[in-house]
Formats: sequence, C-alpha cells, structure tokens
Amino acid sequence: MRYPKNYDIIVIGGGHAGIEASLINARLGLSTLLLTISLDSIGQMSCNPAIGGLAKGHLVKEVDILGGEMARNIDQTGLQFKILNRSKGPAVWSSRAQADMTAYRLRMKYTLENQKNLDTKQEMVDEILTEENRIVGVKTNLGNEYFSKAVVITTGTFMKGKIFIGLNTYSAGRAWEPPSERLSDSLKSLGLKIARLKTGTTPRLDARTIDFDSLMLQPGDDDPIPFSFRTKELRRPNMPCYLTYTNEKTHEIILKNLDQSPLYSGIVESMGPRYCPSIEDKVVKFFEKTQHQIFLEPEDEKSTEIYADGLHTSMSYEVQLNFLRSIKGLEKVEIMRPGYAIEYDFVDPTQLKHTLETKKIKGLFLAGQINGTSGYEEAAAQGIVAGINAAFYLLKKEPFVLRRDDAYTGVLIDDLVTKGTKEPYRMFTSRAEYRLILREDNTHLRLAEKSFKAGLLNKDEYEMIQEQKIKIEETIKSLKKTFIFPNEQTNKKLKELGSEIIKTKTDLAKLLRRTEMNYDKLREIVPDLEELDKFIKQEIEIDIKYEGYLNLQKQQIEKFKKYENMRIPEDFDYTRVGGLSNEVRGKLMEIRPTSIGQAMRISGVTPAAVSILMVYLKKYDGKTDSTS
Amino acid sequence: MLKHDDDIITAIASGQVESAIGVIRVSGKNSLTLLEKIFTKKPPYEHRRLYYGFIKDKQNNTLDEVVVGIFKSPQSYTGEDSFEVYSHGGLVVMNAILDRILSEGARLAEPGEFTKRAFLNGKMDLTQAEAVATVISAKSKRALMAAQNQLKGNFSKQLSKIRDRILYLMAENEVRIDHPGENLSQMTVNDRLAILNEIKLYISRILRATEFGDHLFKGLTLLIVGKPNVGKSSLLNLIVGEEMAIVTDIPGTTRDIVKESFNIKGIPFSVLDTAGIRRTKDTIEKIGVNRSIEAINRADIILAVFDASQTLDKEDFNLINRLKFIEKPVIAVLNKTDKPTAINEHDIPIEKIIKISCITGDGLTDLENALEKIALGNFDDTQLISLNSSQKKALEKAFNICNQLSKDIKKDIDPVLISVNLLSLADYLDEVIGRITNEDMLDVMFKHFCIGK
Repeated sequence: MRYPKNYDIIVIGGGHAGIEASLINARLGLSTLLLTISLDSIGQMSCNPAIGGLAKGHLVKEVDILGGEMARNIDQTGLQFKILNRSKGPAVWSSRAQADMTAYRLRMKYTLENQKNLDTKQEMVDEILTEENRIVGVKTNLGNEYFSKAVVITTGTFMKGKIFIGLNTYSAGRAWEPPSERLSDSLKSLGLKIARLKTGTTPRLDARTIDFDSLMLQPGDDDPIPFSFRTKELRRPNMPCYLTYTNEKTHEIILKNLDQSPLYSGIVESMGPRYCPSIEDKVVKFFEKTQHQIFLEPEDEKSTEIYADGLHTSMSYEVQLNFLRSIKGLEKVEIMRPGYAIEYDFVDPTQLKHTLETKKIKGLFLAGQINGTSGYEEAAAQGIVAGINAAFYLLKKEPFVLRRDDAYTGVLIDDLVTKGTKEPYRMFTSRAEYRLILREDNTHLRLAEKSFKAGLLNKDEYEMIQEQKIKIEETIKSLKKTFIFPNEQTNKKLKELGSEIIKTKTDLAKLLRRTEMNYDKLREIVPDLEELDKFIKQEIEIDIKYEGYLNLQKQQIEKFKKYENMRIPEDFDYTRVGGLSNEVRGKLMEIRPTSIGQAMRISGVTPAAVSILMVYLKKYDGKTDSTS
Repeated sequence: MLKHDDDIITAIASGQVESAIGVIRVSGKNSLTLLEKIFTKKPPYEHRRLYYGFIKDKQNNTLDEVVVGIFKSPQSYTGEDSFEVYSHGGLVVMNAILDRILSEGARLAEPGEFTKRAFLNGKMDLTQAEAVATVISAKSKRALMAAQNQLKGNFSKQLSKIRDRILYLMAENEVRIDHPGENLSQMTVNDRLAILNEIKLYISRILRATEFGDHLFKGLTLLIVGKPNVGKSSLLNLIVGEEMAIVTDIPGTTRDIVKESFNIKGIPFSVLDTAGIRRTKDTIEKIGVNRSIEAINRADIILAVFDASQTLDKEDFNLINRLKFIEKPVIAVLNKTDKPTAINEHDIPIEKIIKISCITGDGLTDLENALEKIALGNFDDTQLISLNSSQKKALEKAFNICNQLSKDIKKDIDPVLISVNLLSLADYLDEVIGRITNEDMLDVMFKHFCIGK
C-alpha cells in the first residue's frame, strides 16, 4: 500500500547511527519515521558492552554537544566509569564506561518512543524510491511505500550479512537476526559502489562458571565523571571488570585448528579491522607474544552473561570452548553465545559529501557501518551529522560541516569521504592532527557556539557554557597580571609544596606552569585566590601549562584553514585544467574535493598538481574566495 | 599569472640585444597549431627535431629565414608543447617575428613564466627552480657548475632524506600516543635523540652550505684597510689584475669608496677601497674615515695591510686594536716584502698572515688560496646550495624547532606535545621543497627571473 502519512525524513535502522539521526530530526521539528527490522533491537550493543575509549570518548562528547543522546544514555545506564590515560597528557584522556546493555537499549527505545514528531515501525526496507536522482521514499518487505524528501540509511552490518562460526555459515545481520538481502541491490541499481567488509565478536560466557577470585580486579574510577555536560551527578554502580591472559597452551590450540577458521581456510576474503583483530589473527601475526590480555566485562547488572574482550573469534564452537578453558579463571567456563565473524555490504564512502549525503542521489544520506566504519561511537557521530544535514537540506539551511580542526567527528568524516577505507575504520588519536586543541575535556567549550548557531543547543545551555569559558579566560588573564615577591613566607611555602623558591618578582601564571604546581597549591601561597569549580581549575591548568604548544598548534590550524578556505566549486571542470596527469584528474573528478585543503589529502594527488589547481582556481570566474 | 588555460606565451629568449642568432621561445597547449600558421614548413612536427623554413607575415611576405626546434609535451622545458625559433639576431627582425607570433593569439611571457610553468607542470620542484635562477645569474663558470648540480635535483634528494627521517620520528611518536601501555615501540630516548641529531646536523649543514653557497653565487665583499701608503691600492691592482684604483704616494688620495667586481679562483668578489682608517682633523678625510666604519659592516672579509719594511707605528697599533673587536674574518697582509723586512709579525695578533710584494707579485697565490678558503670553507663545490630568503628562514625555523624537540625528547614529555613540534618541523621542510605552496609565493618566487626563462 501507499502509506497515507507523508514524512519529511525516513531513517532506516535503529542502531547507534539511526538513533541519533532520527532523534535530531524529530527534535528539529521534522516529521520523522524510523524503520527497523526489529523494534526490540533499538540501541542494541552488538559487540562490547562499553561506550567510549581512546579517541572514542571524544566522539561521544561531540555527539552530546550537538544535541545527541549517546552520552546522556550511558550516563544513566553505565556500570562503571573510567578516564583512560589519566597519567598521560590531556590530549589523550578518554572517558570509557561499561554499560548495562539491556538498560542502555531499553532507555534508548523509550526515548525514541516518547520523542515528539517521531514514529518507529518494525519493517524491513527493500528498496529506495527515487525520481530523477532525488529521494521520494522507500518500499518495505510488506509492500508498503513510505514517502519522504530525505532518507538516512544506517544499516550497520545488516546488508547481505553473513555469519561465520568455524566452517558453518548462515545469513544474518547480527547473531540470530535476519539480514537485509535486497537493500544493497537497490543501492547498486542507483549507481552506488558496494564492497564487502568483515568484523567479528567474542564469545559470551556464564559468570557462574568463572573463577573470578583468581583474576585481577579492574574497578572504575571512584569519582566518576559523566559523559554529558548536561549530567550533573552520576548515580550508578561501580561494577568491576576482571583481567586475565591467554597463554601458550591457548595459542597452541588456536594454531593447531587454523583449518577450522573461516579466515585462514579462505572462506572469508574481505578485509577485517587491523586494529581490533581476532584472537586467531593476533596469535598468527604476533607469534612471538606468549600472552594476550583478556578483559572480562559484565554485560548487564542482573544477567550472568560476561563479555570476553580481546577474544574476537570465528573458530568453530568446539575450538572456542577448548581454548577458552585453557585460560586462567576460565577452566570450567560455559559458553552462553559463541563468538562469530560477520561479513557485510558497505558503500564506498568516497561517494559521499562531507554532509554524508550521496553525491549521486539528492536527499539520500548514509551513516555508520554502511560507510565502512567500526564502533558505536563512530556510528553515532556520523548519525548525528547525517541527521542534522538531512534536516538542513529540507529546511534549505547551509550544510553543517565539521572540519578537521573542529572535531574528531570532522576528522572521521573527512577521512572517509576523502580517502575511503579498505578495512573497518576506527577512530584514533593519531588521526587527528590538531589533537592538542581537540581534547575530550574541552569538547563542549569548543563546539558550543557552532552548535548553538545551528539551533542544536538551547539558550540556557549555551549561556552556561559561555560563562565557563569567560571564567577560564578571565582567571588566566588575572593570574598573568598577579605577582608575588620573593619574601621569606612565600619561599617557605614553596619549599613545603616541593617547588623551587623564587628569586625575583614572579607572576602566578609562570608559577602555575611548573610541573609540580596546580591551582590548589597556588591558593595555598596566595590565599585570596578565588576557589573555583574543579573543571574550571583543570582547564586553566591545561591552558597555562601547555600555552606554548597550544599556540604553535593554533598557528598550524591557521595554515590549515588557509587551504580549507580555498574552495573548489562543486561543478568545477577538471578537464579544463591542463598539466594534470590522467590519474590525478581521475581522482579529483571522483572525489570532487570541496577545497584545496581536501585535494591535498587525496592520496596520489601530487603537490605539483595542487599548485596547478590553485592557479586555475584563482581565476575561476572570480567565484573562488582565497582569503581566510 | 596565467590568464587563460590554454594561453600561449612567448618571449625573445636571447634578450633584447643584437646578436648573431636570436632565439624566440613559444610555449602553450596549442603552440604547434600557431606555428603552422606562420611557418612555411607544415606538420608533421616531431619532438626534438629541427625544421628549416621561413617565417611569413599575414600577407605572406617573408620575415626571416629560420630554423625551428620542436619540443612536445611533456618532454619540453615547460612540460607543454613548445617551439623555439632560431632567427637572425637583429633587433628589428626578432621583434618582427615576435609580433607575428603575438598576432596569432600568443601573449608576452612575464619574467620567469616559462620556469613557473615548468614548476606547475611538475617538471621541477622549488629548489630546482631556484637553481634555474642561480644558473642564469651565475657570475662565474664555477658558480654556474655548482648551480647546475642543484638543478639536477641533488639537493631535493637530500631534503627528502631528511623528511623521511622526520616522518619516521612522527610515526614512532604516534604509536606512543595511540598505544601508550603496550610498548610497541622499541626505541629508547637515546635512539630518538640520535635520529633528531641526524636531522639537526643535516639542516645545519644545509644552512652552512647556503651561507657559503651565497659566497659563490652572489659573491663576497672585500675591505682593504691600513694606514696611508702601505700599498692598499697596489694590492688591489695586483688582485684585480688591472689599474683600477688611483695609486699615488700622497697619503689620502684614494678617498672615495671604490667598488669593483672581479673573480678570484672563480669566486666573485667586490672590493671596497677606502681612505683608510686613521684619525684626522681634515674634514674631507673624516668623511672617508666614517665611511670606512660603515664599510667594515658591509664587508665579508677584511684585508689589513701593513708595510713590512717598517716597524709598526702608533697608527698601525690603532688599527690592530680596532680589528680586535671585529667578528669578521681578517687577513693581515704584509706588503713590500721586496724590501728588507723590519716588521715584527709577532706584534700582529691576527691568525692569518700573508707576506706579499705588490711589485713582484710574490705571495699572491697564498692570498688567493686564503680568500678561497674563507669564502667556501671546507665545502666541495657540488655541496653548495642556493636558496631564497624565505626558504632560508624556513630552514632556520626548522633548526630552532629541532632544539626544542631535543629538550622535550630528553625529558620524555607527553608524545602529543612532541607531535606538535614534529608537525611544524615537517611543515617548514615542505616550504623549502615547495611541497605546499601558494600562488602568491610562486609569483614572488618567479619574479626575479628574466623574461624568456
């Protein structure tokens, strides 16, 4: 039937990308429909029961300031919270939380169900409906045709998903859930390039059969810090994880049974993630290592299921059981669900704009694993950007693009649309050039203005953040202008605090720059200094201690911006440019970079080719703005 | 800047001077179609072949009998299709041919535009383009040969070697950032410092090679000082090999700063000859003496001349005292060795002392060798480098960043902070190579070329 209600936007898939895309659209006032294969699986954590982690914590907080739900949801359903790398520099601090995955999923489901302007329905989309390369709607497996002006596809691993456990294979989008067999054919017929990727998950174990007493306890932080800037207080349990290791016996069992692995018997040929390899990959590739870390993580506050982090595998059930029982603490373990590998269709992301809209079909947006990424956080970050842009497309507003110097999300998307990917793309600190500025701790400070201007942040929230910003800036200014003198009392105090004495008049900022100094110690020396909020103190310390490096990074960003601001018109005719090799011209025509900066990042585009482009752009109908 | 995508540019490459043969260069996408219209020999034109024929005007009158050389893309100087007309070298005939080419839609090339196109078409990088400028402006054959070496890309290769080392450090540093607990990197602080020192050494060698390269490519300025009548002008004549400065026995006759250029061992020099440094109440002489102080600042090498046939007097000692405070290389020249020696050279605290006779020419070779040594240091000609000032500045900044990095790595500080400096280090090196560059810089860069290059 032709469904009687028309929607502004249809989101396909209720995973971490689909949730953010549909919520933000509904919150922006657009009538939104979420179609999913299973309403019970909205917000399902298909793999590890955790949110955040290295570089991923950044993404969660960015989603949060842009009006997303992920951070708020984990704050309400986490089982333990931890800041990783606390002993290292602030650029690599990352929040991570264990989630009660059942509670996480249900809270998401209720949030969607209670969202104004949002309908959720359980149907499988088989076909994308277009007219003249423009979205008109979708058709489902029930024969229903839903009409809309924009569609966001977030299918995760469901398109032609195929699961491997040992030499057994069957079609599924996630363990025991039906895959989408027709949608990728529909995308192919629209002219999109489709390829295959592979990922995997670990066996889930029965807690009652694990000897936890023999293992190392891994608790969360005692004073947990929430993900969302909106969460004032975390009232969650602090459930421990446990650490154990594989051993030579484990490795021997795996190596002896490689013919039972679909990866090594040649059944699976697509690329898996290098960064999150299966245990059989680790054993083969890092042959010299005699042990690998295994974290045993709770999945649910009440359930006995335990996630074995570090043991992604697609070996046969029998081999999984054998190698598990060779591990300390797991000698008598029972498997509740086996690990498996899954192969699925994804769309080459170089076919997308920075808005995550396809270049071919107007109004068609893609987000999440369908774009070749891995991870809930990567999915959510794309989901919110695709959602915002789908909304802005309908509202005829300027595209919402985050640049590499704005956010990790900007880096993620720019990498995808500029370079594509050959393996599931995971976020890393090393992917972000300007990471000293793009820290997790200052996420809401650096993105508030952009978010507010785009209408994603309400006025109260924005003003609250502005106040924090002003407080930080003013305190730093005043510390630089406040001097202390080398008198006996001051130097005595300094010695007590384990710091060098001063010999000349010294400003407080300079004193604070000392490694062993912090704001609280400064207050002991100068008691009339104002007591400040913990977060404000932390930001002041970072800004002052790293001032030189931050300034250098700011200069680097200025340089970067100069090239980003040399825009290339969308309809730029590369055939007019002489002096480009056919290979370079082909790449440029395929990616269609929006700026000289992006062109420089396309692999195979030479510096000389970029120089030529700059010359031509400067005179291109006078349309190009090369000033920054 | 190019005005159209398929612009044809042209210029008289042999310059606006009368000569035996004139060369008119034409380059651009459709330049060979243009040739067809003005040349009696019709296509096919083959790459790297010479064709004989006549250039005709629109009324089909012969302008000149010429040979035309064909250079096809991409194996031409600019990387585009291009040709060169070898005509008779008269100004009228060359300009007539040029006008004829212009009348078919070509336009006059701007200075350096041919080389700029070569750069834009990926035929050379910035260091090579800089070498082209140096080749053109070379003041001696020796300078020319050294510049050719850079033009061949030897220096670029050196730079990319440094860049590889930086990338290696960056990659190693990234591993520390992403996998802090896992000890994936086997490198110790000392290993990293060793690589950094290697980079630093490379950069400082390049900076020194540039400094000495400037001597060979741009020349040095000599200043000859000494009390009146010790033979400063005679010394100058001996070095230059011709009568240039006025030579008299009356003290103070070489009053003005005379500047003249010549080569010593293929190194371009110029000399500031002055009234000498001496106290005087004479106003005209005073002007000369003040100029001398200014001259010391302008000079690269100072030759302090003494009369070997006399003992040092108060004026000589005044000069010696003055030279003590000068940080520039000084050579003491003891003149008049043809006469009996009276001077005690132990009284002269100058390291380099050359004995010479301006009358017999004895000792001249010693002096020339000493000058060469100061000018080029221990560098072999093939190691000398020519860079423009912005490239030099970028290298100096790179060197300073190396120093900061040394400190930071020694302290084993947060790898994220180290990465900030590594990124800038790589950026500055790219500026030297021209890996990342912009149009404004290109314009400045190619402006100092002559038309036709």
